[in-house]
Amino acid sequence: MMIAAYGLSKFFPIRGAFRSTASLKAVDDVGLKIQNEQVVGLVGESGSGKSTVGRCLIRLLNPTDGEVLFDIPDSELAEYEKARAAAATERLDAIADRFSLLRRSSSELRPLRRLANIVFQDPYSSLNPRMRLADIISEPMLSTQFCSRAEAGIRARELLHEVGLPEFFEDRYPHELSGGQRQRVAIARAISTNPKLLILDEPTSALDVSVQAQILNLLRGLQQKYGISMLLITHNIAVVAYLAEYVYVMYAGKIMEWGDKRKVLRDPQHPYTKALMSSVPVIGETMTRTVLRGDPPNLVVPPLACRFHPRCPVAFEVCGWSADEVVEDLEYLLAGKYYGTFGDGVHVATEGDRTIVVQGTTDAQRISELVAREQEEIRSLKGIKAVDVTADATLIHLHEPIEPDMYPSTDGREVKCLLFRTGALVPAATS
Amino acid sequence: MSDALEIRDLHVRFHTRRGLYRALNGVNLRLARGEVLGIAGESGCGKTTMGLGVMSLLPRNASYPQGQVVFDNKDLVNLPREYSERVGDRFSPKQNERILRRVSKAMAPIRGRRISMVFQEPMTSLNPVLPIGFQVGESIYVHDPAQLARRVLARSKATPELTRELVSLLAATHGDETSVRKFAAEHDLAGIEEQALFVWSRGDIHISRKEKAIRALSGQPMNFVERWIIDTVVRARSIPWYLSRIPILSRIVRRVLMREGNRKARELLTSLGIHHAERVVRMFPHELSGGMRQRVVIAIALANNPEIVIMDEPTSAVDVTVQAQILELVKRIRTSVSASFIVISHDLAVLAEVCDRIAIMYAGRIVEVAPTDEILHKPLHPYTQMLISAIPTLEGKPVEGIQGDVPDMRAVPSGCAFHPRCPFAFEKCREVIPTDLPHGSDQLVACWLYEGK
Repeated sequence: MMIAAYGLSKFFPIRGAFRSTASLKAVDDVGLKIQNEQVVGLVGESGSGKSTVGRCLIRLLNPTDGEVLFDIPDSELAEYEKARAAAATERLDAIADRFSLLRRSSSELRPLRRLANIVFQDPYSSLNPRMRLADIISEPMLSTQFCSRAEAGIRARELLHEVGLPEFFEDRYPHELSGGQRQRVAIARAISTNPKLLILDEPTSALDVSVQAQILNLLRGLQQKYGISMLLITHNIAVVAYLAEYVYVMYAGKIMEWGDKRKVLRDPQHPYTKALMSSVPVIGETMTRTVLRGDPPNLVVPPLACRFHPRCPVAFEVCGWSADEVVEDLEYLLAGKYYGTFGDGVHVATEGDRTIVVQGTTDAQRISELVAREQEEIRSLKGIKAVDVTADATLIHLHEPIEPDMYPSTDGREVKCLLFRTGALVPAATS
Repeated sequence: MSDALEIRDLHVRFHTRRGLYRALNGVNLRLARGEVLGIAGESGCGKTTMGLGVMSLLPRNASYPQGQVVFDNKDLVNLPREYSERVGDRFSPKQNERILRRVSKAMAPIRGRRISMVFQEPMTSLNPVLPIGFQVGESIYVHDPAQLARRVLARSKATPELTRELVSLLAATHGDETSVRKFAAEHDLAGIEEQALFVWSRGDIHISRKEKAIRALSGQPMNFVERWIIDTVVRARSIPWYLSRIPILSRIVRRVLMREGNRKARELLTSLGIHHAERVVRMFPHELSGGMRQRVVIAIALANNPEIVIMDEPTSAVDVTVQAQILELVKRIRTSVSASFIVISHDLAVLAEVCDRIAIMYAGRIVEVAPTDEILHKPLHPYTQMLISAIPTLEGKPVEGIQGDVPDMRAVPSGCAFHPRCPFAFEKCREVIPTDLPHGSDQLVACWLYEGK
């Protein structure tokens, strides 16, 4: 196994109020594996934490929590997973001490940097404008003591040739190059120390399609020639479809689904992946698409349980509806759509985490009816477990949410969605 | 039917310190009424320059040596073109700035009111220190203040009896626009129809609530000064000089009209699918997500019922799921609004979804124009063919890049600008610039391969 990450989390502290402990949960409990010589895609919207995962994997950022094992033999990995399942701390530590990237000091990490490298998104800012291309390309070779300065110069010329640039470019500066040429230089720099793992952080999103195609073909050629493992981080699903074998789909800091590329892209299982795939415009096809309502969530206060539930078209009882979410939709119904039935004077408010009080009406029958009628459209109403009446108000109780886990789906895929959990999910309604 | 806009042989050059940059080299394009036209091409091929050129928004170092932009039988670029013709090579940006000031004055009744633009990057085109409602309202206040005044006046004139009649009319005709318009004209209530129709077409509130809202449109109280201001603005169809120049008076005018602008902003945002618009109008751009910002910018562009809307990369700054929302929105407004659209994008797949016709640009020229289906399934120009084959698909079919780079526009290749990258180039391509050759009934292609076919 090239690299394996378990429970990887990265919380960024937020400055603000006095001694504030708020943090932005950019990556939360992410597991990811890349086999030797495998290309794995990581897709997601901007802000879903995919770049953060890439940086945490090679410790350009230090993760808050989790474990990253690098270049570990499969037998050891199997043992590690067994120990992890049994929570055997000693055995875990013994294996992790040898393979963990997170337990290395920065000086121990330096030789390992030869083996893993990264290509950044924007080739206009990732190349030092004051260095010649030859110096840019030899810099990682020198800083990791991969070879001597003289050898590095020769190798830089070879690498320029390798990525399809003429050798006389070695004396040029980045500003003389076009975007595609710069990205070629960035790739040459990344492969200069013969790495086993390459992290590609949006390698083509700053480029035109015609140039993007060249870069994709270059990457594919290098991968086949040297057998480099790659993690391809991108928001462009078609790019993943072109290069990767496995795909991880990320949303709001969590992995939502992963599996074989063909299966995930052609027959997505998770509701988010389905919506994502239907959003991709395809030339010459008119499709019915699922347009997601709303925007990606605020990751400082992420939604309860499943992070996708507020936008999910098939969310149900236990997906994590909070009282606030239900109140907002109830208010809209009682004071808007069904204004004619309830009139003025209805007031909806939360009472604790799981209860809602509707002041001004005791007509539980009507409320239950309209909840039953609207809940296919307005999914948050599914979270309502029971409607009670007191002397002057109506009480609404909500279901307890269940945190989703990665559940195995058909053909070796894993999906983080309660729809794929086996066993009864919804406790029988008590009213 | 006549065209909404016609661009004839438009040339644009930028005079820079490092030489003459030939951004546009003879663009010919017609935009039919009610049509959605897409412009595609690599970056640096002049898509945005063309959009800005139509609006005369190019910076002072841009000259128009040749060409016309004909809108409503008027040439929008005749002033700067005459200047460029007069001075030839002795072009001076400083003098051109003076010309541009005159152009701006001449364009004032057109820009924003009859031709409007959605700029790239909504974060930079919105003002970060002003609330959303103010920015949407301002675009109406600046371009068409009489519209706001009419709305206030209509509300103050409407009696409870008249609004009750209006409600029953709406119920009887199921919100028919022409009959409501007629009703408003008969009772001298111009301005109330759009407010009533907006309330009526809302899907999210109960009918009795709608009725209440429409009945609340009557009898807006106004004091003497306000009444006088509103009357004057309605009669003059704009803000007369004495209302805009006299210090204290101008502030009152602004306050009265901007209050109405905010109200209209709320209506516009709601109709573009923003929930809780009354909360959103008080927010600042940084509080909104990318998709919401894009909706706000589109609302500003649509605020004055323009005839042409130019959208420059409306979805490049947003994610696919938000892009899908915006595309659905554009598809919806193109049926509900009587405007023509020019959509500029580097993503052919986006254009394929919303456009009737697509024009492909390369090195400052249109190399191919055709209806969407034709261009995607039977592309003629080699550049179009290669551009389409470079797009990766979900099936992972092999992609081919186009060798070489976009040419340096300071030294455009002779003949067809694409010949250095074209696998089919022959002698004539290197020497003679290809003309637009018609192909079939509605396809134009600028390539010598199709000469005599």
